[in-house]
Amino acid sequence: MLWFLFRDFRRPSGERPTVVWWLFVVAVAGVLLVWLPGTLGLAEMLDLSVVFVLALLALSMSFLWGYSGMLSFGQTAYFGLGGYVYAVSAMNLGTTTVPFLLGVLLPMAFALVVGYFIVYGRLSDVYFSVMTLVITLVLNKAVRATSGSQYVVGDVRLGGQNGIPGVPPLQVPWDPATALFIDDVYYLSVILVLVAYVGLRLALASRFGRVLVGVRENEKRLALLGYDPRRYKLGAFVIAGGLAGLSGTMFAVWGNFVAPEMFGLQRAAEVIIWVIVGGKATLIGPIVGVGLIQYLTTWLGTQGVGQVTLVLGIVLIAAVLLFREGLVPTLGTLLLRLTRLRRGDDPNKRDEP
Amino acid sequence: MTDVLLNTRQLVKRFGGLHATDTVDFDLRRGELRCLIGPNGAGKSTFFKLLTGQIQPTSGKITFDGQDITDTPTYQIARLGIGIKNQTPDVFDGLSGHENLWLAANFSHAAVAARDQVDQVIAQLKLAPFIHRQVGEMAHGQRQWIEIGMVMARQPSLILLDEPSAGMSQEERVRTADLLLELNATCTIVVVEHDMQFIKRIADIVTVFHRGKILREAHVDEIMRDPEVRDVYLGRQEVA
Repeated sequence: MLWFLFRDFRRPSGERPTVVWWLFVVAVAGVLLVWLPGTLGLAEMLDLSVVFVLALLALSMSFLWGYSGMLSFGQTAYFGLGGYVYAVSAMNLGTTTVPFLLGVLLPMAFALVVGYFIVYGRLSDVYFSVMTLVITLVLNKAVRATSGSQYVVGDVRLGGQNGIPGVPPLQVPWDPATALFIDDVYYLSVILVLVAYVGLRLALASRFGRVLVGVRENEKRLALLGYDPRRYKLGAFVIAGGLAGLSGTMFAVWGNFVAPEMFGLQRAAEVIIWVIVGGKATLIGPIVGVGLIQYLTTWLGTQGVGQVTLVLGIVLIAAVLLFREGLVPTLGTLLLRLTRLRRGDDPNKRDEP
Repeated sequence: MTDVLLNTRQLVKRFGGLHATDTVDFDLRRGELRCLIGPNGAGKSTFFKLLTGQIQPTSGKITFDGQDITDTPTYQIARLGIGIKNQTPDVFDGLSGHENLWLAANFSHAAVAARDQVDQVIAQLKLAPFIHRQVGEMAHGQRQWIEIGMVMARQPSLILLDEPSAGMSQEERVRTADLLLELNATCTIVVVEHDMQFIKRIADIVTVFHRGKILREAHVDEIMRDPEVRDVYLGRQEVA
């Protein structure tokens, strides 16, 4: 029974989600939304929230890289943009519902423009990665250079290196007088990750998603079958941009703060580490990856290890060497083999869904 | 409706100084099963790539079904009804055989019809024993079959096959030949092949390529008797 789920861990493309999978989602939702909050203090909740906020960014990355085959080194461009758009518009408008939406929609629009030039300009593979990295670094530089008092949007100073402090908390849309508190942000970020996870899983089972995986596998063959791969690539790029924007917006909500580091090289590299460690061609993997790396980083910090980046690098190398596909797929394959051995099945046989 | 399905006029493709395809005038009637032969490097695969828009010609014109497709992008040519099996299996290695066929069928069919189409191709090509395996893990011959299946699932009006029997056993070759004859009932086919046994089994008119040009075009028996053809091509291998 469980092996349905394990198969889902390994390669959740093409097939429609099974009942077991839906039960799994409900169970996880129950644990994260009902049981876990009761056992956590506010500080722990705050720590855990950021894992879920960043998990959205990781999902954006795995969708783009793991499933569509486009290694974007700069999903942070849309992450940072989302954060800044939310911060600036919320501080100007005094409400937060529209800024929240803008924090998703503007990065999508930006991704549409950038994606159009990259995809239709036939930049492939390594040039694509380099271009995306350059874009996020350009944004990083540009935002860093806004420390003067002349860099003002409405009433808000962009603040250069220092970023923008005092970003307002999210208000309840139908009750603007009530702002979301730490535990509310926790619930919201968990719900957003669940929605994004389910949404991407369904998208990947749809025709669009299956063609996207075809783009990853063999773009030329796809064109020879009559599909225009560029449209699918652009579509994936825009969806991923929106997801990264959402993550950035939530990051600003979570920390009440945005800074140029959101666009930085460090963060851009971190996203790739999360996804590689967890497993890029899965949707659970990146979420697990974020959790592991974030906790490792925090733990190393409390242990007084100065070279956190160095340790992360070693973790990355170890992960690549030990679990080629990432932690979650490796675990899934292992469990799949175990259950099949017990059932006495031929491991090469795959049941028709 | 014109009888000519595909023609090229003065088609040229130069790679640097090399004329891979040189002033080719090629005419193909609707319903033909044409064979292309020629030594390695004669320009057969380049010709196929030009026809499907995988590379752009240096000069010349390609017309398919009365429509100029000379500078049309690959995916649009595919939509007009040209299907191709490239020389080396060009498949989705990370997906199962079933998913490969599904992607092919789904382009031109609605969801339910696509599934039926896939099932039909699986039955016709006897792919059932390995259809759910990952294509990248299949034997070369099996990948060839998957690719042929993908081309069939699209139900094109013109099928281009670049060495379909390469890497197949003798038994599979016979099956492939019979399959082509069967397919020919509903669509036009052009096959690049080296195996003369295979060609004799299926061919009517054979076109001989040599150094990017069309050297001869005649009935298969005549071609095999032609001294110049024997000299450039057939002479070097056993003519059965």
